[in-house]
Amino acid sequence: MTSHTGRLYSLAIALVVFFLAWAVIATHPWATATKDARLQALAAREAQIRKEAKLVQTVVAQRWANYQAQLKTRKAAIAAAKAASSAQLASVSTASSGTASASSPVKVVTLPPLTVTRTS
Amino acid sequence: MVRRRFHAMGTEIELLVDAGSAEPALDAAEQEFHRLEALLSRFREDSELSRLNRDGALAAGPDLRRVVELALAARERSGGRFDPTVHDALVAAGYDRSFELVPSEMDTSPGMSMDMDIPVQHSMDIHVQAERIELAPGIRIDLGGIGKGYAAERAAEILATAGPCLVNAGGDVATRDGAWPVGVETADEPLTLELSGSSGLATSGRDRRRWRRDGRELHHLIDPRTGAPAETDLLRVTVVASDAIEAEVAAKSLFLAGAELAAAEADAAGIPAVLVTDDGRTVHAGGLA
Repeated sequence: MTSHTGRLYSLAIALVVFFLAWAVIATHPWATATKDARLQALAAREAQIRKEAKLVQTVVAQRWANYQAQLKTRKAAIAAAKAASSAQLASVSTASSGTASASSPVKVVTLPPLTVTRTS
Repeated sequence: MVRRRFHAMGTEIELLVDAGSAEPALDAAEQEFHRLEALLSRFREDSELSRLNRDGALAAGPDLRRVVELALAARERSGGRFDPTVHDALVAAGYDRSFELVPSEMDTSPGMSMDMDIPVQHSMDIHVQAERIELAPGIRIDLGGIGKGYAAERAAEILATAGPCLVNAGGDVATRDGAWPVGVETADEPLTLELSGSSGLATSGRDRRRWRRDGRELHHLIDPRTGAPAETDLLRVTVVASDAIEAEVAAKSLFLAGAELAAAEADAAGIPAVLVTDDGRTVHAGGLA
């Protein structure tokens, strides 16, 4: 009995050991990890793209800053021009209204007419 | 003050000079009217204008060239409301002879065209180059109104050598120096406008040069957009401007606009104007008190 049970245990342990050994051997733990050339190229490409993207982001940020500075300058120039134009219009309007009343070529009078117009 | 009246350009001309004597200037001014009528009348077979309309091209003298150039500039400035190419529309409406000879009542005779609506052509129709004027095929021009304004200005230039003066060419008025009270017809009480310095005044309306044809009342102010006598709620428009030519163009343009738009345009442009509507209202516009 004892020997029969012992044999069964021995057999089971042997089977477990066998399959464990099989699994370990199947993974080729002794083999050195050889990388796929395509993966390597892909990784290199990714790195290159990341580097270029970083460069592009730097350029864009620089240009955006330049644009904002120019926009600010341009807005200031437009505001100044508008202010100058408004001031000029105001002065012209004042001057012309004064001139019109001072030297208008026509006014309504109650004098007897020297001549009478009619439909031409 | 010396005054002279005579008939020219189909209307009564009145010359006034604020001087004791101005006979040579008055003679010269009257001659200028007759000279310009001989050049610019469409009712004279031998006038430069008639030859241009007949032949389509002409080596024209300086006056015809100048008036044509003024008319083209006026057409541009008025957005087409003033247009010298209304000749055929005027003739079709019945105004085919000096106005004194146009019958007040006429019927369309058999074989005569009843098509009075001749839309005016606009593009590339008149070329003025150096001394030559060329009209596009089928184009004929009328310079009646602007020609009188031009003649009034020319006569005023001549009279001004004798003193302050006023020329009234049947409603087209030109002044030089001095102050001139001018009576303007309105719908109700008479109105007197005092023109000063060098200025012009003109009245355009449908209350004088009008006639009836086939029972329909017609007049001489053609709307270039339709080629027919203008249909407007205005009876008459009087305008004051820097000279008689400007005033003539502005009066015609405002007349075609109709009362409401004319008042708004005169106000906006600061053109002193008196508008008389056909329902008997008188409207002052353009800053005229």
